[in-house]
Amino acid sequence: MNDPLGGNSKRARFQALCQALRPDLLRFAFWLSRDRALAEDVVQEAMLRAWKAQDSLLDEAAAKPWFLTIIRREHARSFERKRLVTVDVDELIAREEPMLAAAQDQDLAELRAALFKLPEEYREPLILQVLMGYSTAEIAAQLELSPAAVLTRLFRARKQLRTLCGEDTRLDP
Amino acid sequence: MITCAHYRTALLAEPHAADAQLEQHRASCPECQAYSARLLQFDERLGRALRVDVPAAPARVAVLGASGVDAAGRRARDRPRRWFAMAASVLVVVALAGGLWLTAPHRSLAADVVAHMAGEPQAWTSGPVPVPATELDPVLAAAGMRLNPQSGPVSYAHSCLFRGHEVPHLVVQTEMGPVTVMVLEHEAVNGPKPFDEAGYVGVILPVPGHGSLAVLTRGPHADAAGLERIAARVRGAIHWDGPNG
Repeated sequence: MNDPLGGNSKRARFQALCQALRPDLLRFAFWLSRDRALAEDVVQEAMLRAWKAQDSLLDEAAAKPWFLTIIRREHARSFERKRLVTVDVDELIAREEPMLAAAQDQDLAELRAALFKLPEEYREPLILQVLMGYSTAEIAAQLELSPAAVLTRLFRARKQLRTLCGEDTRLDP
Repeated sequence: MITCAHYRTALLAEPHAADAQLEQHRASCPECQAYSARLLQFDERLGRALRVDVPAAPARVAVLGASGVDAAGRRARDRPRRWFAMAASVLVVVALAGGLWLTAPHRSLAADVVAHMAGEPQAWTSGPVPVPATELDPVLAAAGMRLNPQSGPVSYAHSCLFRGHEVPHLVVQTEMGPVTVMVLEHEAVNGPKPFDEAGYVGVILPVPGHGSLAVLTRGPHADAAGLERIAARVRGAIHWDGPNG
């Protein structure tokens, strides 16, 4: 994002970028942290870090994975800071109940609660695939895993999720 | 030759994978066809579950730029103050957005357009063949509009209920591949609104006197600047019937 036009243009571009990406960044942070307030903090911190480091973003087309990387790191930092060792999933679900049930659709609320129970190593690639529309190769690059490892995690994620949601899994491998 | 177990394993990892061998197996195995259909339904629900509502963007995000005074002589002296102002501005934007998360009663227009895509997956698989005029014209006529050929070939046309109004939902074949166009006569915007949500990249452009136009696509070829050009071209190809046309 080298900017020959000066600071105002740079700022406007950065602002437009944040605007366009903000909904998905908030959703990504929410599903990563399973905590609305923490997601807001993480995105806030991530945007500040992104603004500070914007010269390292050479191609605006790569902005989304760049922001996601910053959010993942910021999320990891927030956990280090808070020294959260164990998480009571039922407590998290109860706390975020208004959010999970916001769709006023029991089916979706159950699915959201099941997503809360999915281990992070399975939840994260699933979010990237289903919410962000990422390919296996893109997820692998984002999570620094091999494509085969990503596929394994995606397979296990859906399998567990279907079981948690009471889907008919008799034909699942 | 792949087995049912291989097929379902691959499908659970990538339900939308386009693989010739998988396609071949699905075509020859009714049980796996039914399995695929159920899994795709599950994935569609999963997509909706993940798209939790987030607040519409604050109207005055311009606060980010409001403090910027770049007079050369003041640059060095003001650097710490400017940095603080910028940082504070970003904080204000995010805090405003965050504060509205729970209280916002509605989703953004872009989020609703994206959610509509998930509810009409057949639009993306319509193929590149243009729809006949007998199919396209009634959809356009219902919105009081016509489309000249400069927009590109239309391969899908349907009148859809969106935010309480019937609107044209089209798929136009372009140099970027198929793009979805929704003509939103009842949704005014005050400038181009680019968005990048749930795997869709798009832009909502104002259409003076006729609301707005949403143009979006997905996949690796998606490019915001190119989409804005396409959106402008489609907007220019619309002829409105009636007194405001």
